[in-house]
Amino acid sequence: MALEEYAGDMNMCCRCSACKFIPLQMVKGYEHANSCPSISRYNFHFYSGSGRLNMGARGLDKGFEYTPRYLDSVYNCQMCGACDVSCKYGMDMEVLRPIQELRIKAVEDGHAHPALDKVVERMRKQGTMVPGGRGERGDWADGLGLVDATKQKVDVLYHAGCLTSYDKDLQGLAKATASILSKAGIKFGIAGNSETCCGGRAYEMGYQADFLAQAKKSMDVIKQSGAKTLVTSCATCYQVYNVLYDQFGLKGDLEVLHISQLIASLIDKGKLNPKNKVDLSVTYHDPCHLGRLGEPWIHWEGKKVPGDRFIFEPQKIYRRGAKGVYEPPRKVIASLPGVTLTEMDRIKEYAWCSGSCGGVTDSNPEYAEWTANERIEEAVSTGAEAIVTASPWSEKLFSETIKKNGGSLKVYDIVELVAQAI
Amino acid sequence: MALDKDIHNTFADVVGEENICDDPVMMGAYFKTDFAAVIMPKDTAEVQAVVKLCNKFKLQFRPICTGWTGVFVPGTVLLDLRRMNKIIEINEKNMYAVVEPYVTSAQLQAELFKRGLNTNIKGAGSQCSAMLRGHGHLDQSCGADDRNHLAVEWVTPAGELVKVGSWGSSDEWFCGDGPGPSLRALVSTVVPPSVTPGVYTKVALKVYHWSGPAKYPLVGNSPKYTMSEIPSNMMGRFYSFPTLDQMWQAELKLGESEICLELMGFNEAMVAANITTCNEEEMAMFERLSKEVQGPGFFVIIVGDSPGDFAYKKKVLETIVGESAGKSLKSVEDAETEGILLAQCTRISASVRETFRPGGYFKSIPIMGQRDLTIRWAIGAGKAKLPLIEKGLIADDGGGFFGWGVEQGHLGKTEIFCKFSPMNPEAWKGVDAWEHEQAARALDEKYFALTMAPQEEIESRVGPALSNYHLWWNKVLDTIDPNGVIPLKGTSKLTP
Repeated sequence: MALEEYAGDMNMCCRCSACKFIPLQMVKGYEHANSCPSISRYNFHFYSGSGRLNMGARGLDKGFEYTPRYLDSVYNCQMCGACDVSCKYGMDMEVLRPIQELRIKAVEDGHAHPALDKVVERMRKQGTMVPGGRGERGDWADGLGLVDATKQKVDVLYHAGCLTSYDKDLQGLAKATASILSKAGIKFGIAGNSETCCGGRAYEMGYQADFLAQAKKSMDVIKQSGAKTLVTSCATCYQVYNVLYDQFGLKGDLEVLHISQLIASLIDKGKLNPKNKVDLSVTYHDPCHLGRLGEPWIHWEGKKVPGDRFIFEPQKIYRRGAKGVYEPPRKVIASLPGVTLTEMDRIKEYAWCSGSCGGVTDSNPEYAEWTANERIEEAVSTGAEAIVTASPWSEKLFSETIKKNGGSLKVYDIVELVAQAI
Repeated sequence: MALDKDIHNTFADVVGEENICDDPVMMGAYFKTDFAAVIMPKDTAEVQAVVKLCNKFKLQFRPICTGWTGVFVPGTVLLDLRRMNKIIEINEKNMYAVVEPYVTSAQLQAELFKRGLNTNIKGAGSQCSAMLRGHGHLDQSCGADDRNHLAVEWVTPAGELVKVGSWGSSDEWFCGDGPGPSLRALVSTVVPPSVTPGVYTKVALKVYHWSGPAKYPLVGNSPKYTMSEIPSNMMGRFYSFPTLDQMWQAELKLGESEICLELMGFNEAMVAANITTCNEEEMAMFERLSKEVQGPGFFVIIVGDSPGDFAYKKKVLETIVGESAGKSLKSVEDAETEGILLAQCTRISASVRETFRPGGYFKSIPIMGQRDLTIRWAIGAGKAKLPLIEKGLIADDGGGFFGWGVEQGHLGKTEIFCKFSPMNPEAWKGVDAWEHEQAARALDEKYFALTMAPQEEIESRVGPALSNYHLWWNKVLDTIDPNGVIPLKGTSKLTP
């Protein structure tokens, strides 16, 4: 849907400021009441969900003027969707969708962020969001003897994702995932050097046309593999294949599973048995893409019913973030001997973003680190020794921020802990 | 209209370049008003410096704390107090909390709950400033409006720093009236100005005893959090009555018995809004509850300090309600619904769902006064809504109004909403006319004089009806605001 189609939603904003805070019943004290990194860091109202909607409404009314301040507000947003959840606690209106359209419009109007332009150019040329050549993507699997899904049809395809494939510090995550799948007796393959970017981060950066072109390439690889199920250990890839591809009618019948869902299911069925004790007190960070943004897409078309209320025919069912993947990771952590979980104040649909979403790590690394540091401090306040997540992007940013600022908090992906326990 | 560059730089020297914005494009994010600039001071000293500069440059200014809806004059400088967000002190012994403007009620209340204390969440919602003057669900037991303000730190319109009450003579915040200068009538009252002239930079708030849990046992996901169990010694019930008079008698007696944490004269449309998660569900619930009630009603929460105290309060409640032939709404007795309402009303003040969700906007006529009198006015104001409802211009709430006693007394708040779409010009016109007519009727029929009115109306009708208070107020304002930096002489309403 184009921005114009959200005019009603944008004009619904009453400037109550609920979008700036976690759902109010869940405020547990003075600390950790904020939900939106952008307004928390930059303070002006135009860095909030409400402010952005008001800017959108103004733009539709008076025309868009791309001043430096305006572009700063457009790009200093992780598109994490926390504002959307908090608003929709009380309201029936879209928040993140028009914010996404504002960014797409900025790019289409020729006001892309230079740093993001470079990232997307790399995706166009090399099919990756991170530095790395086409011939190196499958290096992580060297010597593992995994099935090459480009040569042999498979039912299950493991998609490692750009960051996990190319980042030397994260390749262990892909290896651990492959090891767990093998131990559970799952017959799966990988696309190796032929695997290509899902394109989702380009969409969040505002490059809708590039996303769609990349998505077609990615789906071609998946279709050629014959896979009926795609498993990924990347929360972003999970959301893109499961939600975004569905939104654009690209997903077809493909089943998409995050590795935490699959592991939880395998433990339930007795096909995985975590028995080695891992003495560790942890807290769990819900990645935005696995949590609130991971809620399934709801296809809907309709018209506003004339009259006093903002209602539609047929009824519009809103995605409010409640149906993300929240329980499987917790179930997996609970199954690990010796691991104790202490929750942070902001969890599940109202979790604080790690900072790694929306292209901000590329466009404004300082802001991304600031956001991550807020989460790290929240994790430390629980007394846990480690923060566990299910997103390589979060893991990388947390690790780098802790390294830079000092601190003893350990960072793990949930897969790494499972691998230790089985 | 961006500021002159030299003026911009002078302000930036005070707050830092990163805390001022006068890009005209970005003003679109603020209340649909073309402000001259938005400036974010970090402390009292910066507020004083900015206000003095506004005087020097003859720029009118308005401060906001957390903000909400509002109507502002174009060209005004907006002082956004977002960076002033600290809880200065929670004094458990003397039962007050000192806060800066951007501490929300949700934050303060969460901290107070841990200490067995509570604060009144105002009707605008707990996302709003804790220092906000106003009314809310807990008026019955947690004070209301300016009565909760103790000592105040105030930057006058001219930029002078005034420490009001005990803060003016000692390091203590326990009293608004002294020892030290008492200016409560001037800086902290709804009459005459509606909007405080100048800036509150710190306020001591009276806090109250809380015998509920330190944290509610909430489970589930947004937008439907429920309680895994109703906290012990706590209960919420909605009672409806055969007649308004019987409801009023029960309300009076319950106030006199001092047993209620909350006594909120919800109508069933508001109950429906708060226990549902979307418009369609709300409309269906309203229809259902409308059939279930026997007449007007109210929602009551009681909390006991002990099982014995709870049993006593419950017995008194049921006796008084029974004497007025009140009946408990079965739908609210359902534990899930009861839990939702307990949390909504005590922690959020239930605002957004019942006001903005239907169409995006609402207008209201709120009045504090003798309840039996204002109720009689509200019956007429409710009936006057019906034609607008029939035309589909405002949301159907059956012509309902609401209200409650404050501090267990006979005085209280009565209010009536019209909820509509801000994009519908016909609705705006209809609601504006309704508002004007009902305010005029209140005056003509001698119910009350609404001081939250446009300046012209204050001068022509409201002021003369109230001993020409506006003339006195203008003299006061001329003294404290010699350069005329307070827009509209502090009134909160523009002429429609």
